[in-house]
Amino acid sequence: MPKSEIVAARGIADSIVFHGPLSELYRLAKEGKIPTSLQGSHTRPCKFWTASKILSGIRNSILLTHGPSGCAFGVKQAYKLTNSRNSAAPYEPVVSTNLKQGEIIYGGERELRSAILEVDAKYKPAIIFVATSCATGIIGDNVDAVATKIAPEINARIMPIHCEGFAGEYRSGFDLVFREITKLMDVPTEASKAELAGYVNIVGAKMGPERTEVDTDVKELVRLIEGVGGKVHAVIAGNCSLEELRRAPSAAVNCALCLDLGYAIGSAMRDAFGTPLNSTILPYGIAATERWILGAAQYIGKTAEAKALMQREYEEIKDEYEQVLSHLVGKTAIIEGHDAIKSLSIAHMLERDFNMRAIVYNFHPWSAEARETSIDYLLETGLDPEILITKGTLALGKYESMQQTEAELLELLGNLNPMETVYFGSSLSFPNIPLVDLNAILNRPRFGYRGALKVAKCIKTSLDYAFRPRSEMSKRIVFPKNSGLVSVQSLTGKLAQDVPDCTMYAGQRRKGTCLMS
Amino acid sequence: MLDELVFQDCTHSHDPVVGCALEGVSNIIAGVRDISIVLHSPQGCASTVALGFDNHECDFTQRKVACTRLFETDIIMGASEKLRDLILKADATYKTKVMFVVGTCSADIIGEDIEGLCRSLQPRVGARLIPMHSGGFRGDLYAGMDIGLRTLLSFVQPWDGPKLPRTVNLIAPQASLNPTWWADLKWTKGVLTAMGVETHCVFPSDVSIEEISLASAASANILLTHDMGYTFLREMEDKHDVPTILSDLPLPIGLKNTSNWLRALGEYFDASAVAEQLIETGEALVTSTLRRRGLMIIPRYRNAKVAVSADASMTIGLVRMLFEELEMIPDLLLVRSNSKQARSVLDAELSRLGISPRVAFGVDGYKVKQALASSDLDAVFGSAWEKYLAEEVGTKVAFDLLQPTNRTFYRDSAYFGYEGMINMLEIVANDWEAAFRSKEIRWEQYQ
Repeated sequence: MPKSEIVAARGIADSIVFHGPLSELYRLAKEGKIPTSLQGSHTRPCKFWTASKILSGIRNSILLTHGPSGCAFGVKQAYKLTNSRNSAAPYEPVVSTNLKQGEIIYGGERELRSAILEVDAKYKPAIIFVATSCATGIIGDNVDAVATKIAPEINARIMPIHCEGFAGEYRSGFDLVFREITKLMDVPTEASKAELAGYVNIVGAKMGPERTEVDTDVKELVRLIEGVGGKVHAVIAGNCSLEELRRAPSAAVNCALCLDLGYAIGSAMRDAFGTPLNSTILPYGIAATERWILGAAQYIGKTAEAKALMQREYEEIKDEYEQVLSHLVGKTAIIEGHDAIKSLSIAHMLERDFNMRAIVYNFHPWSAEARETSIDYLLETGLDPEILITKGTLALGKYESMQQTEAELLELLGNLNPMETVYFGSSLSFPNIPLVDLNAILNRPRFGYRGALKVAKCIKTSLDYAFRPRSEMSKRIVFPKNSGLVSVQSLTGKLAQDVPDCTMYAGQRRKGTCLMS
Repeated sequence: MLDELVFQDCTHSHDPVVGCALEGVSNIIAGVRDISIVLHSPQGCASTVALGFDNHECDFTQRKVACTRLFETDIIMGASEKLRDLILKADATYKTKVMFVVGTCSADIIGEDIEGLCRSLQPRVGARLIPMHSGGFRGDLYAGMDIGLRTLLSFVQPWDGPKLPRTVNLIAPQASLNPTWWADLKWTKGVLTAMGVETHCVFPSDVSIEEISLASAASANILLTHDMGYTFLREMEDKHDVPTILSDLPLPIGLKNTSNWLRALGEYFDASAVAEQLIETGEALVTSTLRRRGLMIIPRYRNAKVAVSADASMTIGLVRMLFEELEMIPDLLLVRSNSKQARSVLDAELSRLGISPRVAFGVDGYKVKQALASSDLDAVFGSAWEKYLAEEVGTKVAFDLLQPTNRTFYRDSAYFGYEGMINMLEIVANDWEAAFRSKEIRWEQYQ
């Protein structure tokens, strides 16, 4: 199907905001010729939340939030309880100085000092992270001075994290913590490097320990590293210890888990300590996986072993993989683009490994700006996928499952042959073509050779059952009549706790204005 | 006299198990129909507001929240204009009858004049604008719920005529750790109906502003919690002459508490015969069900030493059921809130029972852990938090009954009343079985 057909023939030209290659979208975003503001309904947690999420991945640390108790309670319920539920982690506290009106008026430094002493005494952590909140940021408590002064009096290390919710976009919390924790790291010595010569770090992880009962992507990467004869020193910050962090720069290489966040800490460590960085796109599919493995192996002197592993891994899946692949070649995939880096990585896999045509649908222009580093990298590697954006993406609402984008999607798809086109996206969308939802918990791992086979089989299964219409019941649940702006993200209490949602925000950032505006 | 625990190193650091005032305010507002919220705050506070809506299990069609998304320059320069624009936009978009304009910590501290802005903007918007200051530093969840109720009180209009006979307002059913608390509300309405009493207004659960405005016509208020709401009740008495009933009784949890509560209700509304009928039927239901399905609970639970870690409402209600009806020994009571009224009701209840378990109010995660670790307990009644804490400190059984729970509820389960007791015992029985199931079967020993 020629590019022009998919738009013109379906009669939705009026709904199209952009259709072209990623490089073109990127250029328009840079020149301010396409709106890049993220509308409020595409909400994100604040800087405090995202900073807390990374910090939740550091073992034997205590997060002491300086402010009223609500901020601590929120992140504890969202992140720590999830760690306990999914990963069998023990109960994890998030402590608060629990400021009240009096401290807001007279200052909370004394409270903070006393709280630090108490936390050190009662939890005996390796490190205390003091996270500032909006309230203490505004009243101007000198957290740095308190921390510096009290450091000799306590057993734990102490590190202030200035992550007031108003102090930046949600993404800035990730970047801040990844930058700050490099200060906990030791400069490598020849001896320490020799000791960790065969080790890699996986960087850019967040939140906590891996799920024990699920074949997660991180576990798959660890298995591959071990398969070439290497070892993983630390997953940063996914259940790593302070000691592991301290020694992390001595590892032979940092391998990015998430291209974007992995690059943030990987480049910081490279700049500060010279630790090499293996930053590739997410290892979806065989081509990307091989690039990731070889990128790691060269730094641990295991290139030959890596090539042998690659052959072994492929041999293990070969028969089934090639059989399934024969059903996929030449087909078209429309990939929901709300998770920017993931959608581009999937497009890479489909084009390079499965010989399919990939169209990334509703890749938000905000991502073209926010994911600059990653997109630069992708374009440099020759990946320039087709992007199609409709008006609904820029409207209020949650675009992966809101009425407008759904209607536009259906219009776009028209009467496409369900045997020729698949949709990669959320099961909460209801296109009239086979749908592949890679976020479903059963579809793990998605990385590596096993992942490539898993994804290929997911597509094949969707095609095999293309004759079954989507459940009317599910559709009614997700798209009630007169639901207006809102999304299904808050369909259940548990889902809603993951992110703030259904919220309309004001005053979006405009090109040329201050990031903090 | 309560035997209260003392904890070291807990004066300045707190590992909260309840949210802040903003969540409390949101938990109240979410119960009112046809409203929207404009939140004057950084974006993260939207997640706290979402928790309030979660507690009502509002689906996504019922959440109309906008946020000014304050950043640093807004904090320095003020953001009234941003707020004004968003109010106008939200009014045009959501078209609700009432819009709560809620300032959180940031707006509260920098002194945004939300009242003035709402006043000046009111002629230009369709919704009635209600300004609220809800900075998290104003207190915990329960304090926030009190702030919310105080705001709703301003909607209540004077009622000049005689009170409507046989009508009651039900207050704060959502201040409950029952994950499906609306089932308790339904049970309460059901027994009121059986006694010929009409539920006039629920403060607030799925209630309209019009219903709230007429709340002063009711002949009584019933508080469905021991954790908050007392100020609201007093003001309803003082300003609107609506008396409070039953507030000194444990809530209807377990056989005896339920019968006491029903009898008191029946007496007040001259429906004692109906109350006795409800009691007879209910007790027969519990007895026959347990005779058929729960006989094992008698030897199983007898003299088990247990802790309850919950809010005041559940703790006070559970004590008698555990002690008298299940013959357990409540050895440790850990209460998340800290109201003097709850202390008084619990003190009286323990005196009547003749027991003096160790007690702590206003507990946090650390205190719960310390208290469990320093006790010789067989089981804990609590939430998912207590489940993990119990695992860690070596307490064999944890009953995951309360919020936040790991349990998935697809059907609403009351904890109030007779069926409520069976519902709780069903969870307790299943958790008990799971706790004692072998984790390591050594097949070779059978070979």
